[in-house]
Amino acid sequence: MTTKRRDFLKGAGVAGAAATFAVGYSHTAHQFLKGFLERGATDPISGNAPAPEFQVDPVSGEVRLNPDQQVSYTVCMGCTTLCGVRVRVDKRSDKVLRVAGNPYDCLSASDPLPFAAPVLASFAALSRFGERGLGHRATACGRGNAVLAKLDSPQRVRVPLKRIGPRGAGQWAPISFEQLVQEVVEGGDLFGEGHVDGLRAIRDLETPIDPEQPELGPRANQLAVLTPFDEGRQAFVRRFALNAFGTVNFAGHRAYCGLTMRSAYAALLDDWKAQPHLKPDFEHAEFMLFVGTAPGNAGNPFKRQGAQMADARTRSAKVVVVDPILTNADNLAAADRVRWLPIRPGTDGALAMGMIRWIFEHEAYDAAFLQCPNPQAAEAAGQPSWSNAAHLVIASGPEAGRFLRGSDLGFTTAGADDPFVVLDGTGRPRKHTDVAAAPLFHQGEVALANGERVAMATSLSLLRAAAFEHSLADYAAACDIPAETIAGLAHEFTSHGKRASADCHGGTMGPNGFYAAYAVTMLNALVGNLNAKGGAAVGGGKFKSVAPGPRYNLVSFPGMVKPRGAALARNNLPYEKTTEFKRKQAAGRPYPSHQPWLALSPGMGSEFLPAALNGYPYPLKALIMWSCNPVYGVAGMHRQVGPLADPRVLPLIVAIDPFINETNTYADYIVPDSVLYESWGWAGAWGGTVTKGSTARWPVVAPRQAATADGEPIAMESFFIAVAQRLGLPGFGDRAITDAAGNTHPLNTAADYYLRAGANVAFDSQPVPDAYDTDIAASGVTRLVPQLQAVLKPEEWRKVAYLYARGGRFAGAADAYDGERLRHRYPRALQIHNEQLARARNSITGERFRGVPFWQPAVFADGTLLDAVYPPEAWPLRAVSTKSQLQSAHSIGTARLQQIQPTNPIALNAEDARALGIETGDRIRVVSPGGSVVGIALVRAGVARGAVGIEHGFGHRELGARAHRVGGAPVPRATGAGNGVNLNELGCPDPSRPGVTLLADFVSGAAARQGLPVRVERA
Amino acid sequence: MNAPILELTGFAQDPAWLPWAVQYFFLVGISLGAFLLTLPHFLAGRGSAEAARAALIAALITGIAAPIALLADLHQPLRFWRFYLSPNGSSWMAWGAFFLPAYVGGLVAYGWLALRPAFAARAGKGLAGRIAGLLGGDGASWPQRLKAVGVFTAVGALLVALYTGSELAVVAARPLWHTPLLPLGLLATAIAAGAGLATLLTGDPAARTLLRRAVATGSAAALLVFIAGLFAGFAGAASGEAQLALVAHRPLASVVLVLLLAAPLLLTWQGGAPSLAGLLAVVAAWAWRWELFMGGQRLPKSGAGFYDYAVPFGTEGLLGVLGSTGLVVLIALALHAVLPARAGRA
Amino acid sequence: MNPSRRDFLKGIAVGAAGAAVGAPAAARSAQGEGDAKHRWGMVVDLRRCIGCQACTVACGTENHTPLGQYRTVVHQFEIPGADGRPRRASLPRLCNHCAEPPCIPVCPVGATFQRADGIVLVDNTRCVGCGYCVQACPYDARFVNAELGTADKCTFCVHRVDAGLLPACVETCVGSARIFGDLNNPDSSVSQLLREHEALPLKPAAGTAPQVRYIGLDGRLQDKVTGEPSPIAAKLAEVTP
Ligand SMILES: Nc1nc2c(c(=O)[nH]1)N[C@H]1C(S)=C(S)[C@@H](COP(=O)(O)OP(=O)(O)OC[C@H]3O[C@@H](n4cnc5c(=O)[nH]c(N)nc54)[C@H](O)[C@@H]3O)O[C@H]1N2
Ligand SMILES: Nc1nc2c(c(=O)[nH]1)N[C@H]1C(S)=C(S)[C@@H](COP(=O)(O)OP(=O)(O)OC[C@H]3O[C@@H](n4cnc5c(=O)[nH]c(N)nc54)[C@H](O)[C@@H]3O)O[C@H]1N2
Ligand code: SF4
Ligand code: SF4
Ligand code: SF4
Ligand code: SF4
Ligand code: SF4
Ligand SMILES: [Mo]
Repeated sequence: MTTKRRDFLKGAGVAGAAATFAVGYSHTAHQFLKGFLERGATDPISGNAPAPEFQVDPVSGEVRLNPDQQVSYTVCMGCTTLCGVRVRVDKRSDKVLRVAGNPYDCLSASDPLPFAAPVLASFAALSRFGERGLGHRATACGRGNAVLAKLDSPQRVRVPLKRIGPRGAGQWAPISFEQLVQEVVEGGDLFGEGHVDGLRAIRDLETPIDPEQPELGPRANQLAVLTPFDEGRQAFVRRFALNAFGTVNFAGHRAYCGLTMRSAYAALLDDWKAQPHLKPDFEHAEFMLFVGTAPGNAGNPFKRQGAQMADARTRSAKVVVVDPILTNADNLAAADRVRWLPIRPGTDGALAMGMIRWIFEHEAYDAAFLQCPNPQAAEAAGQPSWSNAAHLVIASGPEAGRFLRGSDLGFTTAGADDPFVVLDGTGRPRKHTDVAAAPLFHQGEVALANGERVAMATSLSLLRAAAFEHSLADYAAACDIPAETIAGLAHEFTSHGKRASADCHGGTMGPNGFYAAYAVTMLNALVGNLNAKGGAAVGGGKFKSVAPGPRYNLVSFPGMVKPRGAALARNNLPYEKTTEFKRKQAAGRPYPSHQPWLALSPGMGSEFLPAALNGYPYPLKALIMWSCNPVYGVAGMHRQVGPLADPRVLPLIVAIDPFINETNTYADYIVPDSVLYESWGWAGAWGGTVTKGSTARWPVVAPRQAATADGEPIAMESFFIAVAQRLGLPGFGDRAITDAAGNTHPLNTAADYYLRAGANVAFDSQPVPDAYDTDIAASGVTRLVPQLQAVLKPEEWRKVAYLYARGGRFAGAADAYDGERLRHRYPRALQIHNEQLARARNSITGERFRGVPFWQPAVFADGTLLDAVYPPEAWPLRAVSTKSQLQSAHSIGTARLQQIQPTNPIALNAEDARALGIETGDRIRVVSPGGSVVGIALVRAGVARGAVGIEHGFGHRELGARAHRVGGAPVPRATGAGNGVNLNELGCPDPSRPGVTLLADFVSGAAARQGLPVRVERA
Repeated sequence: MNAPILELTGFAQDPAWLPWAVQYFFLVGISLGAFLLTLPHFLAGRGSAEAARAALIAALITGIAAPIALLADLHQPLRFWRFYLSPNGSSWMAWGAFFLPAYVGGLVAYGWLALRPAFAARAGKGLAGRIAGLLGGDGASWPQRLKAVGVFTAVGALLVALYTGSELAVVAARPLWHTPLLPLGLLATAIAAGAGLATLLTGDPAARTLLRRAVATGSAAALLVFIAGLFAGFAGAASGEAQLALVAHRPLASVVLVLLLAAPLLLTWQGGAPSLAGLLAVVAAWAWRWELFMGGQRLPKSGAGFYDYAVPFGTEGLLGVLGSTGLVVLIALALHAVLPARAGRA
Repeated sequence: MNPSRRDFLKGIAVGAAGAAVGAPAAARSAQGEGDAKHRWGMVVDLRRCIGCQACTVACGTENHTPLGQYRTVVHQFEIPGADGRPRRASLPRLCNHCAEPPCIPVCPVGATFQRADGIVLVDNTRCVGCGYCVQACPYDARFVNAELGTADKCTFCVHRVDAGLLPACVETCVGSARIFGDLNNPDSSVSQLLREHEALPLKPAAGTAPQVRYIGLDGRLQDKVTGEPSPIAAKLAEVTP
């Protein structure tokens, strides 16, 4: 080897070694430099934790505010619970530092503060001062703590967007607010794809959609407006859609949230319109049965029920949770105070009817309650509520299912207050108001005044007959719960007087969910717990806000439209009143209707898209969606995105949403909206509180999105105001709001509306006091004072400030009980037999629904058994959805949640998994007749045999899971936002219906997400 | 049916000691192992001079590189002076901060004294020649000074062995480490690897045979420690159980480690390939430490299962390992440049 | 006292003008010291824990811990109950502020220490980031903060406690499962709970004398849990940078 070569090699060696060294140690060098250049933590001990928001002397309780921070009480929107929260803001950066609970609001505090407590005192109550902060703890849940990240999310829509290229391509052009409003209202060749009708062309309140079918109503109905729920702002959209624009097509998400349960309570509580519902009075309950709802794991109010479950476990209360999946409703440390009872998916009706059978067999029902046929009798007997158990029902002939009325027997003349009929002690029919204790069981015949003889029975007899249709053993076999267990449960349930209750919810969202839920909720009637302390409560309700209130009428306005015509979801009209029916009847076969008509149901958000895509009962011209996401949230909707992407099917889609989700990704325009604590609203508990309360949401930080020329944030409100003004619609503009004295006031900004709603709340019944300056300063309401003074009257503004300073208005503990009864009582009779239900027909089969609960296995709309079409041999398992305890449907993309649970596994029963040769961690595919998903297997003992459990909230395709381009620039993806699987991609069609269909409950039309037939294989 | 406990929500924790720590323990181990092998010759004039020279060079290159790797394992390397400003006497690591420089300083001095004649012989033209001239001076060997420094450094080496072993062994929270066997295993693999690296640095057959014997002895001892650990595990000792769990969790790595330890024995027994035996012993020492450190940190203290640690490619992982290897090569090349091509020519 | 802290105290003084009542609060002791009159501790009533992770999130938000590093976590288990049927169990964990903390003696530079009121802390201006204390803690309660390069752990939210407030995780505990207070005060909630209930520490054999104790703790969860790990914890890397 020559020296030269050796030197060269040596040189190369040195260089190589030096290079690897340099690269390898670059991190160390960087650490060195970092030590020099970067500021370390801000505090030697507490690192980067910001200074506390205030300081409280633990001895005197004196509060000292931190002038750099603001603590404001407003509302969380991390899920539908809408808890009152305290938001801590860094004033300099306007960033939210942390969120916890509002101690005045019972949704957040187990021992809420008296409403009169000054704000500074509320701060002291949260502190170590006398350990008050432990007892008055006011919390936000994991999600409520994390969602503040949404405010500054890089995925936020900040300016109006217009699609570039085909729908769903993920390419957007930022446009001005003016262009947005102009194009949406006037239409035109907006996308180079041909003419699109704007809202102006669509708003025709005269011309019928189809002169042949006048019942469909005017062309204005060809705009549909889809919303989520009453989260505090929904009434504003309602005002625009129903009463200003005049379309009949306005709906929320109930049809894919918990409509089976809501319809069941509607039947039980005799109110199909408002659909009130009951929740256990946790605090004093001795026994609570949850079937298909998992308090503390999900449930509404999520957080409050979580806290109440915690309390119940340390009391002597007992809780049984019936669920195919073991959730955090259970807790080992609670020992036998909580019991998980696994059940075969979709068979709760069998369990509940089995219990009801046992209760009848053992006469364990509360006869003293049931025999009170009218409210006076109940009052006299010391019963907190009454029922129609003893009311006689016609059981034969064309009138079957109808209650016998006084006029039928010639006691009275027909009319609105035609009484019901009960038997008296001697067995003679009497007006229900004339008997104090009526016989509960009777089946026989009665001669009507017109001489006809019809069969009749008491409501309770009909229920008993329905329960006796199957043996306990049959019920046990159906639901896979041993007969002894069912009997034991029924015994336990009826062993606590009125301090036992049964509730259900999301778990009943299956194709037979209504009757399952009706059966479960019926258990409450059998122990007569309604309105009882420790029983079932309808809730304390809210103060008047958006209402014909004491100060302003925020509901009616001059020129208000009363929308008319059949709704897209076919829910506000019996099929029998349609032209289609008459035509088919004339042709000799009135049934089936083309698609189900759901006369008992409210607006059906889940049926909007399929109806629009099927063009039945009529095609849609425009869809406005605000903050909802049916493509992600409705089981089986993912298959509809094809037609959704086709502008010829649905020419104009406008979404108002702060984020691009699985549905509005197909929109033509996206209007930005306020997020969380930036937004206005008047909300309240959805249920589960026994005291009255309203929560106030207000912009405690500046909205991050762009503003209109007037400086208003571009949001749902400013968009509808601008559209309404351009169209000249009533209800908006300078003279849109009338006060109690008949003077008119403007509705030109969101504040014009919400602050006046606040005045209604403040003056509802007993007006609240005026806020002191200290309240205003301590709560950050200072930033609202100019608007309060500008919009409200001098005698109003400080009262409204009083509300905002406390985050709402809360009646407090004194509002809860009246002796052994609840103060807020539901007045109507519990419906053992529901007449409206019994008189309605299934528009596919033409058969009448049954007026009492009974055990009905899963069926399609035409009554075919699910198992007959999807036989268990081919589809041996049933997939169910369980809400993630951490996530809600839209909270993905918040890193602090994902770092705890990055994805959702697919849970399998251990024995099923063994049979399939599947182990935890395996990649598996779940296949249903409607789709398939691939995910990670989690083999659990805590899954019922035959069930496959998928947590909801993961498996997103949007909300950060996909990259979009705005104005040519990429919008980054949110790491991990697409992790996991979405059960709804397994959603099934209903092969008994034509066109685009969803598997749905055959009574209510609720979208079925539970008990989906599936098989599982290795992927 | 009594199902096992299933963790539904668990949390992975990153190791606090990065592969850098492995590198440091590896390098300092080789260094002190090799250094100890030089003592018979330089202090007592016994054994092969060539073997001692090779071992000394091995000790020097790894000994100089070691503290730099240690520094890199600190997340705040710039604050190393804190070790001296506010030492905490109850911490073995604090003592290490004194032992290590004592040893490395002693080693450098000892090496310089021992190699003075060689440096002088290399003196000449060029940068390397001139540096060699400076180092070599008159080339006189100073046996008294060499002995004194040798004894000092030997004490340092033993203290380093003591502190490195104890630093780990006292950590009750990591059962894998919390055993008196741990310092023994570290020392045994250190001697094997020190001899192994020296084998690679000399061509002299006699020296290689001698060194190979040290390799074999060290490897055998390490193997015994490993097996003793397993037995301790069967006997229910917590540390042994942790070792068993790790072996069960990473069977392949464990088999490789055992093979690496056994191979030099077999090779020695068969009388062949000292270089291969040496190389394997070096790799074995590294693998031993890797399993010890990274494996020990894989065992969650509370949660179920293991923290799955995927070695990152970047500077906190593979690149770091490569970087410290680069450093060793760099030092070796530098030493090579200022020493005569072959031993014994001096 | 470092500058930011001084600013904060100044802020308080200004803020007092806005506050309604009272004499100025007693001067606070510096964070490094603590008052030996108190001994802060926590009782976790596992019967009340619903596993909502509000504590985990609140702690991270309050203390700006890097994503994927936690001062407190709530492990969730599916575990056979007394009758062999599966149950859910939650186990919130945080630093135990041990009376005999093994994390302190190992620190080579004395950067981690215990205040007179028992709170175990790290001085991040002194810590060299050697990670030794992380190894020595038997509870995985410590980590080397990936952003700061220094040891990090639950401080019992000392900045809040010293300000007369409660720790972030306690403030927001939905089930009121976390009860914080003064163990030296016999009337405190923690002292009462400890009198009325059996409340076990984690890893009693470690001899650390934890000052966080659990009501309703199942023996199988007291030490390192033997069981099947979560298959999704490993996916964390996909969400944390
Ligand atoms: N498989 C399965 N499906 C389900 C469920 C289930 O448990 N399992 N649950 C069902 C239930 S109960 C419901 S209620 C529905 C819910 O379904 P939807 O009511 O349709 O709505 P979400 O998906 O909750 O969220 C709607 C949108 O609101 C937007 N948003 C998020 N934060 C904010 C904000 O702060 N301000 C504004 N203006 N907008 C915001 C987001 O873009 C989000 O996509 O899903 C149902 N679908
Ligand atoms: N953490 C969290 N809480 C929430 C929400 C959230 O997103 N996350 N969303 C809120 C909203 S919008 C709602 S509507 C409520 C709903 O609250 P829940 O009704 O409590 O929640 P779901 O998860 O929809 O359904 C309840 C349970 O029904 C079970 N289930 C499924 N199929 C069946 C069955 O066939 N039979 C029986 N018995 N059970 C079955 C599921 O496993 C699930 O655990 O929760 C609210 N609270
Ligand atoms: S329960 Fe829902 S509304 Fe309440 S804090 Fe949690 S996320 Fe927010
Ligand atoms: S839990 Fe760990 S970090 Fe906390 S004091 Fe005890 S040993 Fe130290
Ligand atoms: S990481 Fe910091 S606190 Fe921990 S032992 Fe090292 S120097 Fe001490
Ligand atoms: S006390 Fe503070 S630092 Fe400790 S776990 Fe709770 S929130 Fe985190
Ligand atoms: S916040 Fe409380 S209830 Fe929720 S997980 Fe943490 S300790 Fe449990
Ligand atoms: Mo819902």
